[in-house]
Amino acid sequence: MRPAENIKRIFKNASVGTNPKADDEILKKLIQTHRQAANEKHVRSELNTWRIIMQSKITKLATAAVIAIAAVLGITFLGQSVPAAYALEQTIQANHSVRFLHIKEFVPDQDEPKEFWVQCDEFGNITNARMHFPEWSSPEDGAKVTLWQNDKVQVYFKRKNIHFIANEQKVAQMMLGLILQADPRFAVEQLRELEAKGEMKISIETPTDKAEPTVITATHTQRPQKLILFVDQATKLVTVLETYGQTKQGYELISTQEYYDYNIPIDEKIFTFEGELPEDVVKIDQTTQEVGLVQGNMTDEEIAVEVARQFFEALIAEDYAKAGQLLEGTPADYMKKIFGPMKFLRVISVGPVEPHPNPATRGVVVPVTVEFEKEGQLIEHTFEQLGVRQVYNQPGRWTIFGGI
Amino acid sequence: MKILEDRLLIRRFKAGDSVAIQRIYEKYRCDLLKLAVVIINDHNSAEDVVHDVFVNFAKSIGRIQPRGNLKGYLATSVVNQIRNLRRNAARRPTSELKDNDCVVSGLPRPEQWAILSEQLKLLSRAMAQLPDEQREVVALRMEGNMAFKKIAEIQAVSANTIKGRYRYGIDRLRSILNGKV
Repeated sequence: MRPAENIKRIFKNASVGTNPKADDEILKKLIQTHRQAANEKHVRSELNTWRIIMQSKITKLATAAVIAIAAVLGITFLGQSVPAAYALEQTIQANHSVRFLHIKEFVPDQDEPKEFWVQCDEFGNITNARMHFPEWSSPEDGAKVTLWQNDKVQVYFKRKNIHFIANEQKVAQMMLGLILQADPRFAVEQLRELEAKGEMKISIETPTDKAEPTVITATHTQRPQKLILFVDQATKLVTVLETYGQTKQGYELISTQEYYDYNIPIDEKIFTFEGELPEDVVKIDQTTQEVGLVQGNMTDEEIAVEVARQFFEALIAEDYAKAGQLLEGTPADYMKKIFGPMKFLRVISVGPVEPHPNPATRGVVVPVTVEFEKEGQLIEHTFEQLGVRQVYNQPGRWTIFGGI
Repeated sequence: MKILEDRLLIRRFKAGDSVAIQRIYEKYRCDLLKLAVVIINDHNSAEDVVHDVFVNFAKSIGRIQPRGNLKGYLATSVVNQIRNLRRNAARRPTSELKDNDCVVSGLPRPEQWAILSEQLKLLSRAMAQLPDEQREVVALRMEGNMAFKKIAEIQAVSANTIKGRYRYGIDRLRSILNGKV
């Protein structure tokens, strides 16, 4: 082991904890300080707006008139909008007030879009999400519907009729990442940053007809990508976002995101599966059980092999509860339904472990050859793509997740 | 995804969301305490430094931008705060130490915040035997996960100089720790 790696291990093992009482006191102080700073920032930005307005000769007279009227009507002047040429900043400001959003994402050659419904809180955090993924977007899983709330994810796999529930920040964050890609607020803020860094060239066309949208074309200077945003002139909100990739023939459309129903409240029921799933749906709930096998001192390769071996040994013993535990926590009766018709006799070989062809799964492949009897016939079969990975949000536990 | 998560947190922080500052504190307080301890080898001073970094961060709502590396930003703040502490200590005569200050490095205060493992105490004592610049480089690389280029910006030297300091620091640390861990 090189000296630096040894030192790395020493650093890793040298840990620090904190006194919870001290944490509480410090947090209280930080929250108070933060709130104070937030109030001061609000006052400062109001003052800055005032200064900008009053520096303009053109607006001075108009401003005086508005103040007079505002005073009579009791309206806070600084809350009124001031006509100005369009700037990206306006869309960012408008986006901060979005509470509900409905998004459709189309790709060329596919009729059915991906579809998202999103609810946000006053700070722009996503609090509820529902995502529809058509068959084409997920060939391995098939069409599915995903719900997300408070780091809890629920997925209904239509083809397999499985309702899967897990607490998993990474999956939840991945879902959040998908939503953010479709979230015009995020796109616009990224554009602003890239423009400031000189990585994006932006052109803006505002038609005189107010019914027509402002068109923002953002061409990446360092990547073969272009975005076109269509912004409603009245609301300053993005209604369509087109993404283009550059090919030898020029720019080709990759996807189109359409944004609907800004701030039209979405029925809470959309964010549940209430009354939606078939009665015979198979429910796999990882939030209420321990799933998989504990890794302990085993290496990743060793535990992956062990999970695969114990899974098939459980099937040989017709211990469907144990086999189900090692397959994402699948209920025993469902395991019996699927595997009962096969009489597993012996495990012939397990491994070697290989990297999974899809790194996004965060798993490995453990080929397993077994012998089983089905309908009076002896069959030797290799599960070439048996996938094994760590259980979502149950660190140190491993499970089979696919290829079976 | 970590960067995405941090960008979200900064956005919420800038919008005035108290939960965001709480999440940032919970996420990074131990990392920053550890960084401060291995650089400064003084339990109480390390606590003061990290406490001040978080308070200044809480005030930075108007300045901080939602791009870049939040951990790196906070780690840099720790280093800057430690340098301020050293500069102030150099100017201040020892007779100005208050009665309730712990004179001997490492003596815990009654309301101790950080709880150090024995390995960390050992590591910190070993790091204290490195020159300041080497200690800073090794700590920022090992604990702050910082690129040499970024550390070079902080120390205002070339990246090659940083690599040299890192190499010497690691070698020296290894010989100090040899057989003790």
